[in-house]
Amino acid sequence: MSADMLPTGEMALLRLLQLADSALPIGAAAHSFGLETLADEGILVPEGVEAFLRAYLEEAGAVEAIFVRRSACGGDVRTLHEELSARKLARESREASLKLGRRFAGLVNQMWESPILEADLHYCIAFGAAGAALGIPTDAVVLAFLHQSIAGLVSACQRLMPLGQVAANKILWNLKPAMARISHSEEATCFSPYLELASMRHGSIETRLFIS
Amino acid sequence: MTRQDPPWKVVRAFALPSGSLVHLHNVSGGVLAGDRLTLDVEVAAGASAQITTTGATRLYRHRQGAGDSEQRARFSVGDGAMLEYLPDIVIPYAGSRHVQRTEFRLGTGGTLFWWEILAPGRLAAGERFAFERLRIQAGIYAGERSVLREDYVLEPRKKDLSSTARMGEYSHTASLCAVQTGRPAAFWRTLEDGWNQIARDRTQPGRTVWGASTLASDGVVVRGLSGSGRGLHDTLVEFWSMARRAITGEDAVPPRKIY
Repeated sequence: MSADMLPTGEMALLRLLQLADSALPIGAAAHSFGLETLADEGILVPEGVEAFLRAYLEEAGAVEAIFVRRSACGGDVRTLHEELSARKLARESREASLKLGRRFAGLVNQMWESPILEADLHYCIAFGAAGAALGIPTDAVVLAFLHQSIAGLVSACQRLMPLGQVAANKILWNLKPAMARISHSEEATCFSPYLELASMRHGSIETRLFIS
Repeated sequence: MTRQDPPWKVVRAFALPSGSLVHLHNVSGGVLAGDRLTLDVEVAAGASAQITTTGATRLYRHRQGAGDSEQRARFSVGDGAMLEYLPDIVIPYAGSRHVQRTEFRLGTGGTLFWWEILAPGRLAAGERFAFERLRIQAGIYAGERSVLREDYVLEPRKKDLSSTARMGEYSHTASLCAVQTGRPAAFWRTLEDGWNQIARDRTQPGRTVWGASTLASDGVVVRGLSGSGRGLHDTLVEFWSMARRAITGEDAVPPRKIY
């Protein structure tokens, strides 16, 4: 059966699973978005990862969820991109988001064999635009983005501290209700000065495992 | 000045080497529940102004039936003009509910230096994050382009501010933005490096941490977190002095008052 003969919902789900897979080759595994600084200074430890990520979801996660949704609902992606750039005060994290967005758009355009995504967009905006272009339901697109985002941070923690596979997966499992709640956020407010500072100070770590 | 209504009072303007220094005084002593304060400032093309306050901005306890107090400040910085907006620390008292909206619009070659310090409450009175709600919104625009956007809500009873994803063990926040429209990105990267050198020198983990970054365009920002308000102002002056020399070729002139 060819792709265009599959029911729409099945194709949408299969495509979404691929786009949100941590194996998608866009370089996400090379970024910690400031977590490396916190781990390096002993501020973030395995016992605190779940609570940290729960608060992260309420702040930065909520903003990203809103931008995925606005993009997936047909918002002007250039306007969204400019606003999000102005909200991301830490250069390393801002550039990381842009790098991932570029590689994500490039990959989707190649797979789709058509330039359906603009090249220079933040990752969450490109992800939302891809969901819209591929006909994937918006709620699912937002949830998938949040899930891959948190999974990426958990994976970074596993490489930064003694966090085992079972414990890591339990954290990801436990955070799903928070992801579901945050996916419906309406106010794009974010207060994360410590994490912003961690990203700003990341360049001063002597031996770094991550780009950001 | 075209208009001033109580509780705002512009004390007087002092001459600076370039431009004028203006002290803004809130004669009621603070922001009361239900207050709606508006500040509109226009720095005309080519002009320079330094604006500060006469003391801390005290946010008083919310009163039942009153709305959240609000302070809205809008600054227009004309072509080739410069604004230095350097208010004193904001102290949200126990039970206060407040919204602060600050917006800067810069013309071609317009320059801005803006700092902000936020305390957790009246520490000497045993208050630490005892306010109800504080919403801060800020925007800096170069023409129609967004340079910085901030929007956050602090509700200590609902969200744990001591989370590592928020403030960690610290209680005070400080920030300074230096913006001039039209400068190339490389200029700001150099200034970011300079600011980060000061940041490293002034960081004492567990007491105070500083970090600097270029903004999306046209400027740099430095952030600080500290366990006390002491020393924050002096360090902000260091960052400001370096940026002032790099951007304008002149030395910073701190507001005339005793800290």
